Amino acid sequence: MSYAFYPGCVSRGGCPELYPSAVKVAGRLGLGLEELTDVGCNGAGVLSRAVSDPINARTFAKAEARGLTQLMTICSTCTGVMGGANLRLKEDPAYRERINREFLAEERLAYQGSVDVKHLLWLLVEDYGLDRLRAEVRRPLKGLRVSPFYGCYIRRPDGILEGKPARKRYLEMVIEALGAEVTDFGGKGKCCGFPVLTANEPNSMAMVAAHTGEAKSKGAECMVTPCPLCHLNLDGGQPRAAKMKGTAIDLPILHLPQLIGLALGFSTEELHLKRHIVPTRPVAEKVSLLT
Amino acid sequence: MELIFKVYRHDPAAGTKPALESYPVSLPDGATVLDGLFQIRDRHDGGLAFRAACGRGFCGECTLRINRSGKLACITKVAQVAKDGEVTVEPVRNITVLKDLVYDVDELLWQKIAWVEPWLRPATAQPEGGYVIPDAGLEPIRKAMSCYYCGLCDEGCSVIPFDRRFSGPAALTKAFRVVFDPRDGAARERLLRLGEPRGMWDCVHCYEANEHCPRGIDPTDRIFDLRDKAVELGVKSGTANPQVARHYDSFAASVRQSGWLDEGRLALETWGLGRLGELLPMAWRALRRGKLPVPYLHRKRPGAEWIRKIFDKVEKRS
Repeated sequence: MSYAFYPGCVSRGGCPELYPSAVKVAGRLGLGLEELTDVGCNGAGVLSRAVSDPINARTFAKAEARGLTQLMTICSTCTGVMGGANLRLKEDPAYRERINREFLAEERLAYQGSVDVKHLLWLLVEDYGLDRLRAEVRRPLKGLRVSPFYGCYIRRPDGILEGKPARKRYLEMVIEALGAEVTDFGGKGKCCGFPVLTANEPNSMAMVAAHTGEAKSKGAECMVTPCPLCHLNLDGGQPRAAKMKGTAIDLPILHLPQLIGLALGFSTEELHLKRHIVPTRPVAEKVSLLT
Repeated sequence: MELIFKVYRHDPAAGTKPALESYPVSLPDGATVLDGLFQIRDRHDGGLAFRAACGRGFCGECTLRINRSGKLACITKVAQVAKDGEVTVEPVRNITVLKDLVYDVDELLWQKIAWVEPWLRPATAQPEGGYVIPDAGLEPIRKAMSCYYCGLCDEGCSVIPFDRRFSGPAALTKAFRVVFDPRDGAARERLLRLGEPRGMWDCVHCYEANEHCPRGIDPTDRIFDLRDKAVELGVKSGTANPQVARHYDSFAASVRQSGWLDEGRLALETWGLGRLGELLPMAWRALRRGKLPVPYLHRKRPGAEWIRKIFDKVEKRS
């Protein structure tokens, strides 16, 4: 199956290690990706829906124009924002028609409502299959203790789960399929604080300190997230959060494709693990012992 | 059903320490957690304090944490929540407990609702015969009007555990209700106030409020409605947090110009030169790791002109 690939802005901006990692992993697994290069930022929950819904309808229409109905993201926020827009456009044909007429017709585009937005995480579990993923593992991450961190938009609101409550456990399932150990903790489904980094930095940093600190205290050696915006805060904000809290945290934060890539046998250089703010050396060293 | 209820007990006036006390209860299969609390009060301790009124999920009086999750005790079936024959009942989090399961609702809700000025401020004098609104005029706010202030959305809120000053989804839903009321004429002033610190921009839009609301009001979406209205009216922040408006403007400007986000520009324009001293060490850390988004050196995406046209059309319409 071919997927329309929507990499998002951050995977090549603030987290440039994410895009190449995701492309390498998708290539190794044989996922047929057709990148949408001529589409816009989905609004990330910042732009008003008056603007972002037409932009997202345009993205979906572009996928349809290429004969693609499955759209893959590598970001929880992209998934949630585009998934939410897609729900509105699908459930209300009159709204979709108005968007088509007012915003897309001039470009000779029209969204028919056939696209499904899927994060790589969902795609791996639901389409690709964990058994196939296990079969591709060349370096089981045995003994690596990993805490999952989802990002809000991939778990809430209920509609985003599309009747599949197990989606709230997919990260743990993938971690285990890669041979690593899940270090569970209460904050895994909470907000990372990134959305209020501008409006209320102390709250934002307090959230980073609470979640990374809790995972660390439970014994995690690293955390994995399917959301680069969570990564920006949990990794990039961790030194400030630790300073505000007055204790060291030093918990490496990995992108989901990086963790998968390590298990598939890619080197830490190929996955750009040195591009993180919190050093990933402890993870790299442990993984190197597994080869 | 034979169960153990572990109930939070605390009497600050008596100087006792908070503790979970265990009580055996015997309940029929369809019993609710509230039934269990009444039985404890009848059989074990008449001094157990808790709130309850309608007993059928219609007043929002008995909001509690049941097995670590916010729920209305009167409609929560014991059989559905009991784990290993136990049910834990506690007051909601992050609030002053007055006694046992009775907490300070004034602090949790009413002070915050008062802050959003929950009364209508019409722009014109009342017409003769009163304000007559077509049914459709109230349709957008009808669900919000059904809020009975149970506080479950605030209980589930991601921000309040970190900042009890945050106005919270219940009060912001009330704000939505008056801002979008066709009789109200003070939207700009209201949104300016709601845009100040502790208001709508402090919401992390995590959707926990939607998950917790028993009335299907979807408070997170109502907060988005307020924000969208603020953007539409050009009131993108309060006076004490101008960086919020700069953030929106810079975000929108880069997407409008290039089709996608210029993150370096966003940081620079949001914080300005005033925080350059703080931004530089962060920028240096990012630069050393090869991940510094350089501001303004940002290529247009193919088809960016169509994205710009979408912005133009939305602006023209509003």
